[in-house]
Amino acid sequence: MAGSSPAARRTHQWSSPNRDRLSDLLSENRHTELSHQDALNAAQAEHDRVREAAIRVFREHELHEEHKKLREREERIRQQQRLEEERIRTEEHLRAEEERLRTLKAKTVPQLPPPPPSPPASTVNRSAAPKQPEPTPSAAPQVQSSLNAKASTFATTSSTVSGLPQVNGTKAEVPSPAQPSQQPPQALSSARPSPFAQPSATNPFAQPSITGPSAQPAAANPFARQATSQQNGQATQPAATTAIVSDNDRYVQIHQNLKRLRASLAQQAKSLPPLKARMGDMRRELRKNMGQLVNAKGGNKVQIEAIQRVLHESISGSVPSALVDPADYITDRREPSEGAIHNGRQLPSLFIYLLNTFSKAVINQFIDECGAQPLMADPVGVIVAMIFSNKSFLWRGKTLIDILMAKFRVVCPVLFGYRGSEKTEQGRKRLGWKREKGASWVPEQQHTDRMKGLGVGYAAIALRDFSKSPNTNPWPPSRYWASFAKIVNTPSAEITNTHAVVLRAMIEVSEERFCSFYGTAAIAALRKALVDFPNRAEIKTPGVSGLLVLGQMFRRDIGLEL
Amino acid sequence: MAEGQPAQAPTAGSPENDQTDGAAGNSSLQEPAFEVEVELSDLQKDTDNPLGSVASFKDLGLPPAVLQGLFALNFQKPSKVQEKALPLMLATPPRNMIAQSQSGTGKTAAFVTTVLSRVDFNKPDSPQALLLAPSRELARQIESVIAQIGQFVPDLGIAAAIPGGIPRGEHVKKAVVVGTPGTVMDLIRRRQFDVSHLKVFVIDEADNMLDQQGLGDQCTRVKTMLPKDIQILLFSATFPDKVMKYATAFAPSANMIKLKVQDLTVKGISQMYMDCPGQSDKYEILCKLYGLMNIGSSIIFVKTRESATRIQQSMVRDGHKVSVLHGAYEGSERDSLLDDFRTGKSKVLITTNVLARGIDVSTVSMVINYDIPMKGMGDATHDTETYLHRIGRTGRFGRVGVSITFVSDKKSFMALQAIAQDLQIDLVSLSPDDWDETEMQVQRVIKSSRAQANFVPSAGA
Repeated sequence: MAGSSPAARRTHQWSSPNRDRLSDLLSENRHTELSHQDALNAAQAEHDRVREAAIRVFREHELHEEHKKLREREERIRQQQRLEEERIRTEEHLRAEEERLRTLKAKTVPQLPPPPPSPPASTVNRSAAPKQPEPTPSAAPQVQSSLNAKASTFATTSSTVSGLPQVNGTKAEVPSPAQPSQQPPQALSSARPSPFAQPSATNPFAQPSITGPSAQPAAANPFARQATSQQNGQATQPAATTAIVSDNDRYVQIHQNLKRLRASLAQQAKSLPPLKARMGDMRRELRKNMGQLVNAKGGNKVQIEAIQRVLHESISGSVPSALVDPADYITDRREPSEGAIHNGRQLPSLFIYLLNTFSKAVINQFIDECGAQPLMADPVGVIVAMIFSNKSFLWRGKTLIDILMAKFRVVCPVLFGYRGSEKTEQGRKRLGWKREKGASWVPEQQHTDRMKGLGVGYAAIALRDFSKSPNTNPWPPSRYWASFAKIVNTPSAEITNTHAVVLRAMIEVSEERFCSFYGTAAIAALRKALVDFPNRAEIKTPGVSGLLVLGQMFRRDIGLEL
Repeated sequence: MAEGQPAQAPTAGSPENDQTDGAAGNSSLQEPAFEVEVELSDLQKDTDNPLGSVASFKDLGLPPAVLQGLFALNFQKPSKVQEKALPLMLATPPRNMIAQSQSGTGKTAAFVTTVLSRVDFNKPDSPQALLLAPSRELARQIESVIAQIGQFVPDLGIAAAIPGGIPRGEHVKKAVVVGTPGTVMDLIRRRQFDVSHLKVFVIDEADNMLDQQGLGDQCTRVKTMLPKDIQILLFSATFPDKVMKYATAFAPSANMIKLKVQDLTVKGISQMYMDCPGQSDKYEILCKLYGLMNIGSSIIFVKTRESATRIQQSMVRDGHKVSVLHGAYEGSERDSLLDDFRTGKSKVLITTNVLARGIDVSTVSMVINYDIPMKGMGDATHDTETYLHRIGRTGRFGRVGVSITFVSDKKSFMALQAIAQDLQIDLVSLSPDDWDETEMQVQRVIKSSRAQANFVPSAGA
């Protein structure tokens, strides 16, 4: 029936002049209203019939297309499944071989490799829908919508939009009084594309959709107003901090998970001789190459290659190690994404472990070197950007930089909006003041030195230009802006030396790049940081004086009048 | 322990606390009702530490421009030697000063701050302060510290009286003069340098300057040409007893700041030694060291220029960017080599004793005594002072530092043992057999010496 022509013509209508019909036509009343009505009705009926047929055909065609799409999707999933199965088979095979090797090698107690660490699932994961084999989120609404051709377009649109409410839904799980006060600027800024869209969203799950700030720098004023309103909101609502805290606490979880992972690798090495043979060398290789980085353009090629070689080796699985779920080491929820190199549910634990070692070396390099020589942060920042944006080291198409950020969260919480008094035990803890094993705090000088190095380092990571890179910036400048804003918006009474030192370090050698990303807005931000912020600080610590002096140095050296 | 006093502020803390708990329902954060003050001992420790003090720079009565310069350099608080010595040096009438303080504790900043506070910059053309250092590098370094701390001083002029620094026949028309003794002496003799308005005379690495035959004579001769009422400041990390006698004669009725033997080494530097099976294994072991810990820059001290070159070759092969600096290099070449190292263009510096003293590259996190420091005829005896100055190139201003001394035969082992005895320290032994094990040990040592740096002996310190 489908595809048939719209009903056979009633040929007799036009057949040889029938006397009856002709007489009908020629009859007296052929011009009466009645006959006119009849003709109209007939025409209307015919029109309806044709229209219905057309709609039916259209629907059938759509359904057909839909089926085809579904079949294709199914086929793709099957193919992925086959690949996965194959991988599992190879791994099982590998394991079996490994076991045999072990039993052969040492006829001692055959010890199985310890299970991979089973860290507590994050709140994010718990709230996630139960995992289905390859759910097809957009397919369902489409099938339904195909019943109504017109409505279908709307349905698809709304399903795309539903990405946003979903994010908010997850976030809403954390009851926070500050939420309402933070949402207006968020909505406001997301409505118009501006470099500030990202920063105002304190939500770590939000997609870093802006890879680089938009070309046209927004006027300085909007930010200033926005910042003040935010600041007021926080000042009047003491619980605002806690909202940020619970968001970022995922990083603390990740940090714990990484500790467990390290312990697990040490265990695995005991029962896997090939792992033990390689692991230590790989770790030392990473560390050595990080230490060799020099502050000269193009001078680090050998080191970059060596670091990538080690990571490639670990992710290829050529050195045996248990598989772990990377979801335990990131803040967002990820589904497999098309075209991603690593799309499975698991990655070799050795790979995650070495990313952890790498991240640790990055942090140490910042602390040991950049506190003393800020210029050394740049080459480290370059390497971080390269490794965490490298397509071979992504998982499901996205970066694993959260491993590094979890460390930043622990050693320099100020960057994530944490506050505390330097004169209290809890306050120092919240500020990331290091405690030695003997339970005493490290001296003030050492603390400020660490903070300086970390601030410089953070800027070196977050202010990278990816405009000429085919890869996605793992930690775009908007993150820098967000951290900057969090420190600058600290209530006057809670400004500490730590805040001032970190802020200055974030600016000191990066002002040029900051300005090139944000233009006039950056100047406005610098004014806030180097004039308003130190002036309203209630306690004038040396770090606060340092910010004022930096402002004067900018005026003297580069003629920047704030 | 202070958590056991809940009676203090339950009402004041509770409303805020309720809110906190409500908001952080999912977080594991458990804030007590009120916060506990940091223990007094933790704060006091800062004052017992060579870098800590109770005072702030603002309390020291420095000129505003100098204060600004210190803040620009991220100086937070005066170190102990700065806190103690600055008021004494700045007092009127001026008195001489002999100050000893551990390596990397801010001696240079202390005397530079004094100089900048004493000089009258309304007369920028008349030399008012003279600073002497034992080497060209050190003089240049002091010059740059003056320029940095004095960056907000209007009309600040510094002359570098080092070989090739000031052309013949040209007069020194700067308020501050930094140089090496020989060049300064020549300048005065040739009447290029008018010393009549000098107010401050500083000798850095004073023990070394006064002890050595040549340098000592030159210093004394320079002194005799200076005004009689000039204020003399002597600084060093070490003042052996016999040099102290010269020093007190050189700077009569001086205020003194001295250290005890057990306080000589900076506690934050982890001192270890590597037990090498033989001389030939040293190269390979050296390269392996760089994977054991995070290393910023490092300095390797060797005995001869030849071994410096050989080590350089094997390290470059391993991917390191290396600078070699020894007596064979001349003036400006040495400056640029050291500059590369300072700015991080090269990360390893191989050198002979030329650079053992005073050079401050704050990123240095490891010092290797590839050859153990010896002195005397045919290297007969161990050289404790040089050892101390060498390892003092790391752990600058409270940073983490590691020193590893290579020991490969009985002679070097005995020498190291004698040094350890002189300094009353224990050295940790490392072995090149199992690198996993050695790595663990190095990490342990670094952790514990960091903790030790914060540990303060309570009695009589």
